[in-house]
Formats: sequence, C-alpha cells, structure tokens
Amino acid sequence: MSTVPTLARSYEALRPKVLQRLLELRSTLDPSLGRLDDATARAQIGAVLDHLGNFIATGDLGLHRAFLHTFLAMRAAEAQSPASVLAMLVAIGDTAAQVAQEEAAGTPDGAELTLLLTRVTASTARGVNDLIAEELGRRVAQRTELTKRAREGKR
Amino acid sequence: MTQQGSPIRIAGDTHVGKVRTMNEDALILEPRLGLYAVLDGMGGANAGDVASQLARDAIRDFVLQRRAALAPKALLEAALVAGSTAVFTAAQQHRERHGMGTTAVVCLVVDPKHVVIAHVGDSRAYLLREGRLQTLTRDHTIVEDLVERGLLAPEEAERHPYKNVLSRNLGARAEARVDLLELELRPGDRVLLCSDGLYGYASAEAIQYLLGSGDAPEHVTRDLIEIALRGGGGDNVSALVIEAPAAAPSSTQVVRTSGAVTWWQHRQRFLQVASDGGLARNPIVRGLPAQEAIELVALSLCQAIYHDLEKSTGVNVWTFAQNLAAGWFERGGDWNAVRGIVDILGGAARAVVDDIRARDAKLGFLLDVAVSRALIVVELALGGLLAERLRQIDSDLIELHGAALDTVEHDTLETVEPLESGERSIERPGERPSERSIERPGERPSERSIDRFIDRPTIPFLRPERPVTSSGESSEVLGAIAKAITIARGRLSPRAELVAQILVALETVATDSGGNFAAAVLAARELYGVRSVDNAGVMPLFDAFDKARIVAASSVHQVRASPAIRVRVLRALSLAHQRLVAAATGLVLEAVVPFGERLREVQVVTGELREAVARAEQRRADLERKFATIVDPSLPWGARGSTEW
Repeated sequence: MSTVPTLARSYEALRPKVLQRLLELRSTLDPSLGRLDDATARAQIGAVLDHLGNFIATGDLGLHRAFLHTFLAMRAAEAQSPASVLAMLVAIGDTAAQVAQEEAAGTPDGAELTLLLTRVTASTARGVNDLIAEELGRRVAQRTELTKRAREGKR
Repeated sequence: MTQQGSPIRIAGDTHVGKVRTMNEDALILEPRLGLYAVLDGMGGANAGDVASQLARDAIRDFVLQRRAALAPKALLEAALVAGSTAVFTAAQQHRERHGMGTTAVVCLVVDPKHVVIAHVGDSRAYLLREGRLQTLTRDHTIVEDLVERGLLAPEEAERHPYKNVLSRNLGARAEARVDLLELELRPGDRVLLCSDGLYGYASAEAIQYLLGSGDAPEHVTRDLIEIALRGGGGDNVSALVIEAPAAAPSSTQVVRTSGAVTWWQHRQRFLQVASDGGLARNPIVRGLPAQEAIELVALSLCQAIYHDLEKSTGVNVWTFAQNLAAGWFERGGDWNAVRGIVDILGGAARAVVDDIRARDAKLGFLLDVAVSRALIVVELALGGLLAERLRQIDSDLIELHGAALDTVEHDTLETVEPLESGERSIERPGERPSERSIERPGERPSERSIDRFIDRPTIPFLRPERPVTSSGESSEVLGAIAKAITIARGRLSPRAELVAQILVALETVATDSGGNFAAAVLAARELYGVRSVDNAGVMPLFDAFDKARIVAASSVHQVRASPAIRVRVLRALSLAHQRLVAAATGLVLEAVVPFGERLREVQVVTGELREAVARAEQRRADLERKFATIVDPSLPWGARGSTEW
C-alpha cells in the first residue's frame, strides 16, 4: 500500500513550521527571497509550499510542470532571473526536507518524508531547467531568424 | 571475552604473561549483574590463583544475593569485605595457603551513565574521557602511603625497593578497608580495569593511545595485553574495558564516513548501469571509445559524489556538471544531450543507492538523500549555465532587434502613421500588446495588411508603433515617463531619499538615448556610492529598488495618457529597473571579489596546516613502529625509560 497519503498528511502537519522557518531564514537561504517584503515572501513561499503538498499527494508531473511554468513566468515578470528562481525553489524544498528531518527524526515517516521532499526538489530543479532550456531554444531560434533577416536586409 | 547485548560494551581478557607459569589473575564479567572486576592473587604454593578465585566467587555471589537490599556503594563495599573474609577464612583453614591474598578492582554498572568502582590493592581503574587518560584509583602500597603522607617524593617512589609491597589486600584480614568511587559516565567514556601486569609493562601513553584508538573494546583489550607482553610480560596481564554508549553519530557523520566509502565500493555497479543506459552513445561523448567515455564521464561523477559525500559539500559535483555542460554548449551542443547524459548518470546513482538500501536500509536511506542532493547540485549548476546563456542570447536579440529596427524604420517609416483621432489600439484577451493592431474607421480587419516581420518582434518593449525618437521611444512616451516619475516622487515620504534617487535614475535610464547599459551602470555607481558589503550592506539598496519599482509602476496609472502609452511607459520603466538592478548587482559582485581572494588565501593556509598535521600523524605512526621493534622486550616499561614515546 502506498504511503504517499500518509506522507502528504505528515507534510501538511509540518507545513506551518516550514513556512515559519523559511520566513525567518529567507535572507540567508536565497538572495531573491531575502529581497521580498514579509507579505510578498509569505505569498510566494506559501504558493510553493501549497503546490509541494499537492504534488506529494498526487504525484502529477504534468501539474508540477504547469506550476513551475507559471511560477517562472511570474517571477520573470518581476525581473527575477531563471537561475535565482531555481535557487529559490531549491532553497524552499531543501528547507522543507530539513524541517522534516528535524521534526520527525527517527520515525519511519519522518525519514520517508525527508527523502520524498529531497526527490521532489530534485524533480523541481530538473523541471525548471527543462523549461529554461525550452525558452532558450525558442530564443536561439529567434536569434537565428533575426540574424538571417538582418543579413537579408543588408543585401 | 566480550559481553554483547548491553548498551555498554565490555570486553576483558587475561594472559599468563611471558615469565610466570600460572595465571593468578581472575576476572568477573557478569553483564546481568552489571558487575566487572580484575583480581590479582598473590601467595606461594599455588595460593595466588586460589585467593583471586575465592574472592571473585565471593564477590559475585554476594552481589547476586544482596543487590536488591543494598545501595550500590554499600553493596560493593560489603561484597569486597565478603571476598576478603572468604580468602582469609580459607587461608586460616589451609596452612599452606597462609598469607595468600588478592587485589581487586571492581566496577558495578548501576545504569549506562552511572558506575561505582571499589578497589583494594594495586590493581587500577583508568578513565579515558575525550582522549585524556586519568587514573581513578590510588595504589594501596606502602610506598604510595608514604608519598601520600609526604614522607616520600613521587620520583623516589618509582625507585623504591618496596614499591610493589601492598599495604592493603583482600585476605590479609577478615575485614578490608575498601576505597569507593562513584562516577557519572559521559558518552564514549572508557573505563579500564587492569592488573599491575599491564601498567607495569605498558606505558601510560601506550594505554592512552590504545584506549583512545576508537577500536572495539575486544580489540583494545587484545592490543593492551599484546603491548604488555611486548613490554616484557613479566607478570600476569589482565585488562577489562567498559565503554559507555557513544553519542549517536549524526546523519552527516554517517554519510561522511561509511556512506562515502560504501558509495565508492559500488563504483563498478555505477559504471555498469551508466554503460547499460547508453552513456557511450550520448552525443557529448561521441567519438570516444566506449570505455573511455564511461571513465571520463561516469567515473568522474562517481568520484565527485564520493568526495562531496566525504566532505559534506557539493563543490565537486557542481564543477563536474559545469565542465560537462559548458564544454558541450561551447561546441554548439544542445540541451537534450545534456539532459540525456544527466538522466543516465542519475539513474545509475539511484541503482547504486537501491543496492545499498537492500543491504543496509539505514545507510541506504541516508545515501539516498545525499545522492538526491548531489543530483540537485547538478541541476543547479546546469541551471546557472542555462540562465547565463539565456542572458547572452537576450543581449544578442536586443542588439539584433535594434539593427532590424533601424532598417525597418528607414524602409517603412512612411507607412507607419501616427494614430489619428478615431483610431484605437485593439486589445484582445490573451494577445500580447505587441501583437495588437490598429483599427481604422471604415476599414475591415481583413483589409489590413499582413503583419510584417517587425510586427512580431522578439523583444516586445522595443517594438515601435509610432514614429520614434533616437532613444527608441516617442516624445509622448518620454513625457509620460517624466510625469510618472514626478508623480512617484511626490508620493514618497521625505525620508525615502534612496528611493527618490532611484526614481531619478530610473527616469535617466528609461529615457537614455544610447539604449545600452552604460546609463544603468553610471546610475548604479552613483547609487552604490560609498556603500560596501561590510558596513551598511546592500540590502537597503535592493529594498529601495523594489519600493521604487512598485511606486513607479503604480504612478504610471495616474498619468493622463492613452492605455497604449501607459503600457509603453510601464515597459520602459520595467526595462530600466532590470538594467539598474543588474548593474548594481554587478557592482556588488565586484565588491566581494577581494573577499573571495582572501578566502582562497585562507584555504591555502588551511591546506598547509592539514598537511602539517598529516606529517605529524605519520611521524607518530613511525615512532610507534620504531618503538615496537627496538625495545628490549625482557625489560618492563618502567625499567627501561621509554624515551621513544
């Protein structure tokens, strides 16, 4: 029998502590988090933590990717670079895993949740990179097109 | 002899030595009673061994029978008295055993953190705590008594002819005067009970070294006896080691030690899975012989993970990923190949972890987490490279688009007419502003000309819909920018000077005719001013950047202008903000360079110190080997002057 519903419940129980830890440490965890005011940081981090809970419960990679896509776009609109968004998401996942390890140390659920959160973070990092690479591919194509047209224009 | 199954680890052993023909020492190893002892019998005509065994049995029986009735100290004291009585009585009953006796050093483990030690005679108890050895007992010899009373100097005691003559033992009388000691054990403490056959033939330094070696108690006991034998073995040798439970090693410690080693032991499996996954067919290593490709990529990552596990860092994995992908991208390679190779390596890592988990669930779990983190580090390194490439491509696109604009402006300026009264910009849901078209009265959409290339630009904020000035923005937009900034400044409190300065800078950058980063860099330098990372910090500046962005953006909506103009103003200010922040970040990075250099210097010094420590360790090991081979084993430790130590 899958333990994921149990782990999802464990995660939900830990979520307020994770949020609190992230709000306290956000300046040291990641510069992009550190720059945010309390309300914005709470909203952004809360959104990620909410989604992590959903992802743990459903394991739906499609939804995960969709979330990452939106999150990247929104942060890009706020002039955050993709690298800093990636670092921020990893910092959030890492802190969640750390809190799980501390709070539930020694229990099988605690150990499994720590591992699951670490793997989710790895999956997040992978997904973000794939999205950045897709965007890069599009822009490289645009550059090629523009270069070509610039040459044609000169002729 | 080793006792298992207790949180406290105990091992004890005894050896007849190299000179004696009979072992008169005796041990008590009773985990169920928590009772441990070394006894050293004495007396001619086979009486020594009888004395130690009689006392041993009497002490054990007494504790067994009375442990519920007496407190630990009283119990132990009474037990030793019972032992003395037993020996004394037997000596009285057998003329040939008259005068026999025994020493005893006894340890009662009350609980894993609490022991009571009792002793009579010159058998000793030592405590090794945090690497330091201390003697817990005082020998009951005539010479020691003289020293204690100040009648003999300690240095004279070593040479005194009666230094081995006991002032107390079990069996000399029916009663016995027992010295007692209560001890709180700390995690990792080791207590050694031993007869004079050990400390008489092994130096205190040797005992300290072996007790502190971290080896299991049974190995320590064996080595202690061995070194006493090498030191001469002129007496029976007995040693009993009691080890308090060590503090549980942290997950990090486990991974750094056994985790790293276990990982490295499975490297062949890692290489095999990577090979089976088709690593050698990946475009990144195309052209290399399969084996070479596997070693170049898979073995390198395997090594990097091993070193990172050992040192709890991610720097080796990071460097590996950077080198792998940067080289490939420089050769014009695509992302898919990188993703493919990283996935193969990730799969190999997980296969290894699964194998380890099947054998050792706990270690496997810790490694699973650690290796997953290593894979996150790989992604972070790759993400950094991708983002950097994205930034470069954006820069190229801006340049190319600028060039395209000039051409288009020149060719089509006459065809792009200003909006006239009655015209409106059409806004459709989901449509980018840059894609909006101009609707003219009486004109059907189908009649509009097909958008040219320049009407589908890559960089929306550079798209001209109006005749442009040399700065790329219309005078209307420039005017609106100025108005927005004026409104924004008016909304600030007088104390928000830094935000006000940033607003001025935003206007300068947004209306800069150069269209490059120069204005942003100049403005950032002015803002950065005398700030440095070690006093005021940079966070107030970046906080002010954010506030300026928010106040500027909200002020744009108060400008009296068409929505299209407001959109342009917003874009211009947004771009200016990005440039300003990027330039300020560059300045911050420049400012921290000296600290990075200082850090590298410190790393060099640390490396030299590590090497010095390693050399000292090597020298100590050499001296130990030398010591083991050059000494005259027929002499006891105390008699030959152990200068080699």
